Formats: sequence, structure tokens, C-alpha cells
Amino acid sequence: MHPILSTRNSFLLYLAAWVPLGLMLGFMLSVSGRLRWTESASITFPIVLVMVFVCLSPWYSCRSLPLRSTSKEKLLGQHLIAAMCVSTAVVVIAQILVAAFGSVFPGLQGQFRPARPVLATMVALIYLLSIALHYTLLEMESSRRAELLSREAELKALKAQVNPHFLFNSLNSISALTAVDAAKARQMCIHLSDFLRNSLRLGERAVVPFAEELTLTRAYLEVEQVRFGSRLRVFQDFDDGCSDCEVPPLLVQPLIENAIKHGIATLVDGGEISMTGRRSREGVRVVIENPFDPDAPETRKSGFGLINVRNRLQARYGSAARLEIQVEENRYRVILSLPCETRKVKLEEKAARE
Amino acid sequence: MKIRTVLVDDEDLSRQILREYLRDEEDVEIVAECANGFDAVKAATEHKPGLLFLDVQMPKLDGFEVLELIDPEVAVVFVTAYDRYAMKAFDAAAVDYLLKPFDLERFRTALQRVRRRLGESVRGPAASELKNAAQAPGQYARRIVVKDGTRVHIIPTGQLDYAEAQDDYVALHSAGKSYLKQQTISSLETALDPMRFVRVHRSFLVNLERVTKIEPYTKETRLVILADGAQIPVSRAGYTRLKALMERS
Repeated sequence: MHPILSTRNSFLLYLAAWVPLGLMLGFMLSVSGRLRWTESASITFPIVLVMVFVCLSPWYSCRSLPLRSTSKEKLLGQHLIAAMCVSTAVVVIAQILVAAFGSVFPGLQGQFRPARPVLATMVALIYLLSIALHYTLLEMESSRRAELLSREAELKALKAQVNPHFLFNSLNSISALTAVDAAKARQMCIHLSDFLRNSLRLGERAVVPFAEELTLTRAYLEVEQVRFGSRLRVFQDFDDGCSDCEVPPLLVQPLIENAIKHGIATLVDGGEISMTGRRSREGVRVVIENPFDPDAPETRKSGFGLINVRNRLQARYGSAARLEIQVEENRYRVILSLPCETRKVKLEEKAARE
Repeated sequence: MKIRTVLVDDEDLSRQILREYLRDEEDVEIVAECANGFDAVKAATEHKPGLLFLDVQMPKLDGFEVLELIDPEVAVVFVTAYDRYAMKAFDAAAVDYLLKPFDLERFRTALQRVRRRLGESVRGPAASELKNAAQAPGQYARRIVVKDGTRVHIIPTGQLDYAEAQDDYVALHSAGKSYLKQQTISSLETALDPMRFVRVHRSFLVNLERVTKIEPYTKETRLVILADGAQIPVSRAGYTRLKALMERS
């Protein structure tokens, strides 16, 4: 579909651009041929009408001659020939008009002769201008498409994923437990299955109730608890009001994963992860805090989980959601604030619209 | 004689598996278990083990840093859930690389390799030399680990003033203190960011940020004066390198 014709606004804008162009054309004609404004207008108006349509046609020639993959000679040659054809055709039309108006405006035929080269040049220039415009439009469209594609790819890549190393480490713990504590091994299998099943189920959905995200996070913590034993301690306190807020899935769990990997796991004696959730009129505010070793070896340092969560927030809420990171000596704090959309609110909004 | 073995892993259950698999091995004796890198270095010094099972990601020091600080004759088997360190591990002359979780059969293969290696008893180059071979291009060490008896010092590279070659060792000077590490100055040089550290002399490597003044010394040589007043000789080639770098920054 032609981009100018695709929406009413763009077409109106295009027509509006023709007003000054038409005025200029008429002015040039009247100056060069010393025509009266009525004479000039009666020739210019039909010509402009023709040009309005002719100048949409480069869309097709521009598409068949892409800027990057066409040689300069071919590009220049083809478009110049087209411009000359258009300008010749318009001059012929103008000549026919002049002949037709001969009875109304006596002497017009003679006066128009010196204006002919001016008209031909103007028309050719306007046509070349429209070619430039179409190349710009093509470029804009291709960059927009590229952006759309990369965004899609990004969203796909950002889709919450279970960290495979978490799985390998958990399976290793189960493998160790089978020999010493079979019941505990079985229990860990069940926790791990709970977590995997839920993360698969929730990962497919665009949003989930906050309560379900918390359940998932707790299942994750149960598994890690077996791995880290007494090194991992957890404090949690969430307002009831948070439960039915709809949030993108796997938003809190990666933050906890981060807190363990870059925090608890770097400490010989481990530490406590504190997670709290507060509900206010603005939305939900989740704070996750953990100790860490600022002098930890380099192998631990990476913040992909955080970037992923931040990008997903950005994609969904724009500037309405925030992910803030505070580091104080050996404490790491992540503050997540996002608007609370409950299903009830959405239904009410929907009802209000209808 | 039994193979004296140290288990290093910050997870209790991971050591548990190793213990279980080693129970029936008549020729292996577990002499210590460690849950972090510092303890591992300490145990390796105190117990003089022949074999080390070593996790990569641990508190304090990672497995590769531990490897740098212990006797290169110790046979090392890495045990980790990450496959991405395998190349680096073999470059650091590890005997084997076990991916968690692993079965008894795989574990026994690793032990067979250990026995073969210990039987050969060829002295390989120090791990600190080999570590650089595995270094990714454009990535430089952010810290240097040094062992002092059973204690381990960590020097962030930004706090290193200069290094001086002393036979098989380098003396690392940082904040008025000096630490000896078994490493050649050339291998230290390749581990550090060449935009920040200059080899001003065959025996000296200088942190560019510490240089305050350059003075003529003899006809051919100069001296750089560091922020703490230390005077370092500069050779003619070293001066060319220093000048080139200072003009760039």
C-alpha cells in the first residue's frame, strides 16, 4: 500500500503540500509569461491536479530501483528520463489547455510561449523532489520494519527462561541426596517439578496475578534452600493487596535468583534475603535486599537477569515502572515499582468504554 | 602410598557426592574439605595434597585463582555445572573437568586420569603462566591474587603501583607494601591492560596512573618517579613505549 494513501491524514498532508507548490507554479507562470492571475490559475489548477497523481507514481519506480543496490548511473538515468517524460507530457497538456482557453483569453497562446521552458523545468524539479520524498518514505518504512522485527526478537529473547545451570546444580543436589536421604531427594524432585511446571505455565502468559508469581518464587527458593542449606535464609512480608495485581510473569523470581547467585553464594556463611511488597495507590513496590561480598571473584559478576527484567518492564509499562538498584558497601537492594492492574479494574474500564 | 585428596566446593551436597564416590577407592584419602577459595589455598599448603577436586564458582577466590596459588604438581579435577570454563580449565592443565551431575563411571574415568598423571610426575609450567593463554582477548585481569604463607592477598589491578622481576618471582608493589608471586613479569604484563601498565624496563612494569615525573638518569636511561616517590629505571625501549602511551592518553 502506498504510504501516502494509507491514512487519510497523510494524504491530506500531501495535498496541503501542493498548495504552496501550486501557488509557486502559478506565480512563476504569470511572471514569465506576463499572464493575468485568472489566466495563470486556469492553466495551473488542472496541471496541479495532474501532478498530484503523477507525483505519487515514483513509489513504484523507487521501489524497483532501491538506493543501495542500484548503480548511480542507472538511478540517475532512469529517474531523469522519467522526469523529462513527465515534464514533456505536462507541457503538452498545458499547450492543449492554452489552445482550449484561446477563445476566453485572447492572446494567451503568444504569451504562454516564453513560459513554456519555465513550466517544463519547474515540473521536472517537482517530480525529482517527489522521488526524493519517496526514497525518504521507503527508508523510514524499512527502518520501522527493522525496529519492529528487532523488538519482536528482543521480546522473544527476553521471554523468561529457566537458567539451565540452576537445573544442573539442582539435579546434582538430588543426585547427592539419593544416597544419604532418599526422602529429601524425593521432596526436592517435587519442589523442582513444581517450579518448572509453574514457570512453563506462567511464562506463556502475558500477565499473571502477583500471588502466582510469589508462589513460583517460593518454589524456587525451596529448591535453592536444599542446595545452600543454612547459608540461605529468607525473610518475606507482602501486603495482601499485592496479590491480585497483574504483573508480567517471572519478574520477581529472576531478582531472587540474582540475589542468590551474586549475593548469598559469594558469602562463606551466606546471609538473609529479605523481600517485601507494599501496595499503595500508585501501584506495587517490591524491595529485595541481600548481603554480598564486594570483593567476590570475577566469575560471578554479570547482571543479565536485572537487565532482562528492566527491559521487560520498559516494554510493558514504559516510564510508569521502575527498577532501581542501590548498593551500600556490602548490601544490594533492588526496588521494583510498577502500576497495579487488577483484572477487576480492567473489566470496569472495558465496561466504561462500552 | 595413598593419594592425599582435598575436596573444594561451597555446597555441602556436592562434596557429599565426591565423598560417596571416593569411599570405595582404596588408594584415595580425603585429607580436607573446603567450602571457599581461601580455605582451599590454605589446605593445599598445609596438607600438600596430590589431588584437588575444585569447584569454579566459590566465595572469596574462584577455582582458577586457587589453581594459580597452589603447587602446580597437584592434579586438579574441576567439578562444576558450567561447561563454559572447560577450555580454560584444560589450558590451566587441569586433569579432568566433571560436569554436574555426573555418574560413578565418569568419576572413575577422571580418577584413572589422575592416577596416570601422578604416575608421570612431569612438572608442568605454573598455572599462573598458563592462565594467560586462556585469557579472552580484550579482557584483562581485574585483580591479582598472591599467597603469603597460608594467607591470600587480593590486589585490585588499579591499586598495583609497579611490579619488579626477581628471578622466578615478581614483586608486586601496592600501597607501600610488597608481595612476592611466583610468575614471570612477561606473563603478568600480558594479563594486565596494556593501556594502563607499561613495561618501562626489562625488569619493571609500571602503572601509568602512578607516574608523576620522568627524569634523565644516565645518557641512555631515564627514571620515572611514582606518586609514592619510588624511582623506577626506564630503558630506551621502555621510554619509547611510555612516551607513545602518554601521548595517546
